[in-house]
Amino acid sequence: MVAAADSDGPLAGKGRAVTVRAPVAFFRKPSVLPGFGLTLGFTLSYLSLIVLVPLAALIVKSSGLGWNGFWAAVTTPRVLAAFEVSFGLSFAAALTNAVFGFLVAWVLVRYDFPGKRLVDALVDLPFALPTAVAGIALSALYAPNGWLGKPLNELFGLKVAFTPLGIAIALTFIGLPFVVRTVQPILQDLPAEEEEAAASLGASRFQTFSSVILPAILPALVTGFALSFARGIGEYGSVIFIAGNMPGLTEILPLLIVIKLEQYDYAGAAAVGTAMLGVSFIMLLILNLLQQWMRSRHAR
Amino acid sequence: MAIQVSGITKRFNDFTALDSVDLEVKSGELLALLGPSGSGKTTLLRIMAGLESADGGGLLLNGEEALGLKPRDRQVGFVFQHYALFRHMTVFENVAFGLKVRPRGQRPGSAEIKRRVTELLDLVQLSPFASRYPAQLSGGQRQRVALARALAIEPKVLLLDEPFGALDAKVRKELRRWLRKLHDDIHITSVFVTHDQEEALELADRVVVMNQGRIEQIGTPAEVYDHPASAFVYEFLGQVNRFDCMVEGGIARVGDGTLAIPTQGGVQGPAVAYVRPHDLGVTPASAGPARISGIHVVGPDARIDIDLAGLALEAEMDRERLATLGIAAGDRCAVHIDRARVFAR
Repeated sequence: MVAAADSDGPLAGKGRAVTVRAPVAFFRKPSVLPGFGLTLGFTLSYLSLIVLVPLAALIVKSSGLGWNGFWAAVTTPRVLAAFEVSFGLSFAAALTNAVFGFLVAWVLVRYDFPGKRLVDALVDLPFALPTAVAGIALSALYAPNGWLGKPLNELFGLKVAFTPLGIAIALTFIGLPFVVRTVQPILQDLPAEEEEAAASLGASRFQTFSSVILPAILPALVTGFALSFARGIGEYGSVIFIAGNMPGLTEILPLLIVIKLEQYDYAGAAAVGTAMLGVSFIMLLILNLLQQWMRSRHAR
Repeated sequence: MAIQVSGITKRFNDFTALDSVDLEVKSGELLALLGPSGSGKTTLLRIMAGLESADGGGLLLNGEEALGLKPRDRQVGFVFQHYALFRHMTVFENVAFGLKVRPRGQRPGSAEIKRRVTELLDLVQLSPFASRYPAQLSGGQRQRVALARALAIEPKVLLLDEPFGALDAKVRKELRRWLRKLHDDIHITSVFVTHDQEEALELADRVVVMNQGRIEQIGTPAEVYDHPASAFVYEFLGQVNRFDCMVEGGIARVGDGTLAIPTQGGVQGPAVAYVRPHDLGVTPASAGPARISGIHVVGPDARIDIDLAGLALEAEMDRERLATLGIAAGDRCAVHIDRARVFAR
């Protein structure tokens, strides 16, 4: 970039600048927006420093085990069970959030009611609250002698705290704002005319919703789902209090990593972390591709 | 008759959008609702379609009471100013939508849907674009898709809300002619809303001029233009010169007698006289009472600004006539008026 800019001077006006610029133009479309080189350079170094270097360190650390050691470390029954708990429950929680978070966003966008601003502000609380506080509050609430735990246990025989259900509830709690905040602006921008058009063309309310509104907000909904899902996989603070942490049953991956660290099994912890990273990356990649495909259908 | 509106009233808080409006739309005609913004024309159209509720009055669609019906049960095609196409659907899917959402018993088979949509796309001359998305079309094409989509449900009535409002001048004119031709072919009872008097006069069989929630006049384009029922209609339809005057014995005197205009009708006393710019005659006169303050040539026509003792007037003529007169800005001239409409003040 800099080299091209330098050689620009003497060649300017001779109509040959294009040849000199060709290698740069390969990456760059002609644009009036300045600073492509600077911003790309900064972005790459920043991302490397903040994201890539720590992740690379993690992988290097786990590579000390060798391939066989790595495989052995991540396929023990306890680790596999934790994988199932972490990913399965995060998925369930994200799915729950996608449905009810959408409902919250819908109500906040479509209707006016007293206390609307308050409800709107409430949605962000899980962002602001230290997760440990949320975890303690939830476990106190859902414990067998808690306000909600007791009646649930007595009336339905439902145990929440110290079971997978408890973990799912904690993950739902911390993931809710992601769905609401991604869907809300899209819903706000949805023109009412499209719904009116559907109605005048003979569509029922349900048909209007399923074939006009839902496709329009689906990309945003998937983003919210992905964010909520990713957050759930990494969540630690709010879960460990309500989970009970029984190995193989309610033990989540982040906790397992902490336990390995406490036992000075750094390579083992890094191996689990690396495996977790790989699975998360693949899942988020799939969700991203799915979104791209949905967006391309809009051809905006 | 296809649509009968009787005494429809609509209020938004303190604002009266429609004040007891009566209107009959004849079967097969193309009717224009013309008026400035806030005159209630769009509200009236939306009430006909069921997209807005009325506070009072009655609405008959093909003789059936329709105010209680949902939009989907009214068999009305609605075309929006900003197209309101479904952006995640192709052109084909957009047009097919109204057929696909029908209840199972009335829904045509997929081959029949394909045939009908293809036919409609042919009608609006968009067959090659069937698999495109709305975002890939121009404004004029999008509006034609919207029209095909509305026609797909075989509506009894077609309602168009400022259908050309979002298009540029040239496309607007083309689409306007095309719509007129289409209407002549399929003869569907149609009502369109516009604030553009030229559009209403060119396109419609009859024009309804609205102002402040009321109907000022209903008539053919020639009737409303040549015989405006009120001062508002006269002012709204085209350019005008407006004079405050005193009418005595059939002569309207402007100011302290700078201009005397013969009038028709029995108006006496204080009044307002209107003269169209092309009815204002200008002759060069070195000692005339008026002065030409400016000449603007717009295409084949010329607009002439005249200052008559402090009164700003506008005359219009073609360029040839201007050349024959040989007048230029700053010249003195005489002004004469053959025709003026006078309304009592």
